[in-house]
Amino acid sequence: MLRYLIRRVLWMIPMLIGISLISFFIMHLAPGDITSTESAFDPKSSEESRQKLRELYHLDKPIIVQYGLWLERMVHLDFGHSFASHQKPVFWSETDKDGNTTKGMIEEALPVTLLMNLVGLLLTLSLAIPLGVMAAKKHGHWQDRSITLFNFIGFSIPGFWLSLLLMYWLGVIHPWFPISGLHSLNYDQLNAWQQAQDLFMHLCLPVIIPALTGLAGVTMFVKNGMLDVLSQDFVITARAKGLSDRVVTYRHALRNALLPLITLVGLSLPGLIGGSVIAETIFAIPGMGKLFYEAVMMRDFPVVMGILTIGSALTLVGNLLADLAYAWADPRLRKGVMPQR
Amino acid sequence: MLSACSPEQANQETLAFDQAYPPQAGGTLMSAMPSDPSSMIGMVAGESASLAIGSYLFNSLLKYDQNLDLAGELAASWQVADDNKTITFKLKPNLQWADGKPLTSADVLFTWQLITDEKTHSPYASDYQLVTQAEAPDPQTFIVHYSQPFAPALESWASLQVLPKHKLAGQDIHTTSFAQKPLGSHYYQLQEWRHGEYIKLSRNPKSVMGPANIETLVERVIPDPAAQFLELMADHIDSMNMDPITYARIIPSRPALAARLNQYKELGNSYTYLGFNLKRKPFDDVRVRKAINYAIDKQEIIDGVYLGLGIAIASPYKPGTRWSNPDLHPYAFDPAKARQLLAEAGYTDSDGDGYLDKNGQKLSFEILTNLGNKQREKTSVIIQRRLKEVGIDTRLRTLEWASLLTNFIKPGNFDAVVMGWGLGLDPDQYNIWHSSQQNPGQFNFIGYHNPQVDHLLEQGRLEFDPEKRMQIYHAFAKALYDDSPLVYLSAGYGLTAIHKRVQGIMNPIPPAGVGYDSQKWYIPAPLRRAQIQAE
Repeated sequence: MLRYLIRRVLWMIPMLIGISLISFFIMHLAPGDITSTESAFDPKSSEESRQKLRELYHLDKPIIVQYGLWLERMVHLDFGHSFASHQKPVFWSETDKDGNTTKGMIEEALPVTLLMNLVGLLLTLSLAIPLGVMAAKKHGHWQDRSITLFNFIGFSIPGFWLSLLLMYWLGVIHPWFPISGLHSLNYDQLNAWQQAQDLFMHLCLPVIIPALTGLAGVTMFVKNGMLDVLSQDFVITARAKGLSDRVVTYRHALRNALLPLITLVGLSLPGLIGGSVIAETIFAIPGMGKLFYEAVMMRDFPVVMGILTIGSALTLVGNLLADLAYAWADPRLRKGVMPQR
Repeated sequence: MLSACSPEQANQETLAFDQAYPPQAGGTLMSAMPSDPSSMIGMVAGESASLAIGSYLFNSLLKYDQNLDLAGELAASWQVADDNKTITFKLKPNLQWADGKPLTSADVLFTWQLITDEKTHSPYASDYQLVTQAEAPDPQTFIVHYSQPFAPALESWASLQVLPKHKLAGQDIHTTSFAQKPLGSHYYQLQEWRHGEYIKLSRNPKSVMGPANIETLVERVIPDPAAQFLELMADHIDSMNMDPITYARIIPSRPALAARLNQYKELGNSYTYLGFNLKRKPFDDVRVRKAINYAIDKQEIIDGVYLGLGIAIASPYKPGTRWSNPDLHPYAFDPAKARQLLAEAGYTDSDGDGYLDKNGQKLSFEILTNLGNKQREKTSVIIQRRLKEVGIDTRLRTLEWASLLTNFIKPGNFDAVVMGWGLGLDPDQYNIWHSSQQNPGQFNFIGYHNPQVDHLLEQGRLEFDPEKRMQIYHAFAKALYDDSPLVYLSAGYGLTAIHKRVQGIMNPIPPAGVGYDSQKWYIPAPLRRAQIQAE
């Protein structure tokens, strides 16, 4: 087990380099660079100043040299500085010689997105598992049909439309929740308890809406998993042995049905930090999705590469964790038969 | 999807907000901006959000008054030498920064040195690099020398935001924390900046321009226009810039909302055009260009795309200003004349397919525009239909901005484009129209070359006398008009809604715009928001 773990972790290094190389080249395939987006069409700006900027950012060098420079910094875990946002550090905070600290862009955006998506995922799972189990147990009955109908609606409603609708109903007509933003203007004057409350109120709508629209898929996933398992021999045997319906469903069947869900959750780990461009833009939340989208549109290469690298690392970690969770959930794997992926 | 508030609420609010109050200090004005500025040093950051916030914090030597004539801001007076090569600015007495330190000509000199420094990467350095020597002989005097007269210089000194030497000397302008925690001299100073969320500015009691009325300005970063509008409906923001649909249809259809808001429209300093690649056939023929100009119904585009909130123009200057030639009138919509001009240029429908051709070549071209600008996309579709009616085949292509610039505009790889120009207040358009400005990355990308226009543009840069300059630019606009190197489509209105609690807004709007004199705006105490009062 330990040897397997070490081997898997070591494998991640060449994998990461490979991914970063491909990402770097694909990113540069897109036409233009920072100088073709920022003030590029302002008649008061000049081509000479844009050329100077290109030199400053090494954009005039061959792409392989640019990659080499990037990789050299990455070895020291230096994600570099943003082109677009006044040379702000991409990842970590930096303190200048006068003691002023500039926060890293990812460092600022990541906690928000992580909090939002983690709460959203927990909400989705805590609703989807019972709904999926119920739909499977009542397969063909009205409960199943209502859940299926609900799922269809969930699948087909565009998230941005539902967001605007709820913002209008719960923000304008019945002003229970803030419409957009993450903090109230007087946030700094609030005590810790009030600050937590303020954050909670601001996050309600942005968390509930993606959770609701994501619910449909996971519910169907759980339902189908349960249906498969409920028809298997060991479940029939368990029932024949006289075990109660509760024990058969929740202790024997559900645990097996949840195995594929572990993979799903493992794979959603990079999504947790990726954020959602649409939700973050509509709700004016400075999270990772918006950061990434804006960086791509501005051709802010250091930020794009920073987010991609962290995303790839997390995908690999997610895979590893999913495999470990598999081993934990499935006794056959725990006893030495590790999945070969 | 949206419905109006209850009528009772509307009546109550109408009564309160329509009452006029005398000017008084205090209150908070909340507005929305679509993106977070990258820095507070606008001259280096180069994007509009930074320049906009910077204009609350920093002063310039000169400014434009309400009629768009130059006036002193930090400068009490300025003198252009007889040879037009030297400008001497005399600063107002007792100027100071928000921290109480004196603001002198040494700060102006320092800012000029900073912007033109080799190590500084400012997109706007070029105008200041023309200064051959700058000096600050005493704390009140700042002198600049040019190797030859440069009339747009005065405008450039109205754009340079003066930075404090005592805070920035010895710092790297690209990494300094000053960009996040600036110190200025203008009406406001930065109180709090929560990145990506909001910027709070508070009144600067030491402002060199005198006190502003409104105590706090809050700019909230809300990228989505629909969310901005919901915040306006919920009374969480006091002003926003709108699109024509919100201005002309949505707000008027909600009486309760309309009762709380004043709506303003002002002609902006920008226009949309159909530009031709003049180095390609058939656009090298002035008759074809004029024919296309006559074939397009500009009013139809203004009505259909901008809901009537725009005007047709005949020169690249804002109508009603000194620089706009009043003798020129937009090309009329005249398909018959278009057909006649095309026939004169040798185009006939020889194969009877409905499209004109010449020497076996169909009259056909591609129109490019940028993705995400719905108004330009719709405009292109209307143009396509009108050109088809006179026998011209067009294909439309929409491209992402950076891709359009890099792959098509820069290498000159296009037939025609629907794009826009936003212009400064100085009439100089050398960068856009002079034949020397055609290299990749420069702004005369349509390849316009007219020796008369070149001469006028050169002359305009040498002439400081506004009357003589006006004659030059009127002649320049006439030459462009006759040549029709592009089709002016429309100049759109800037549309703003401001809550009625904000009073003291100049009415009618002066040529300088609704935001001019915003330091005189005030929010009477009874009309302030309860939550803000509690703060």
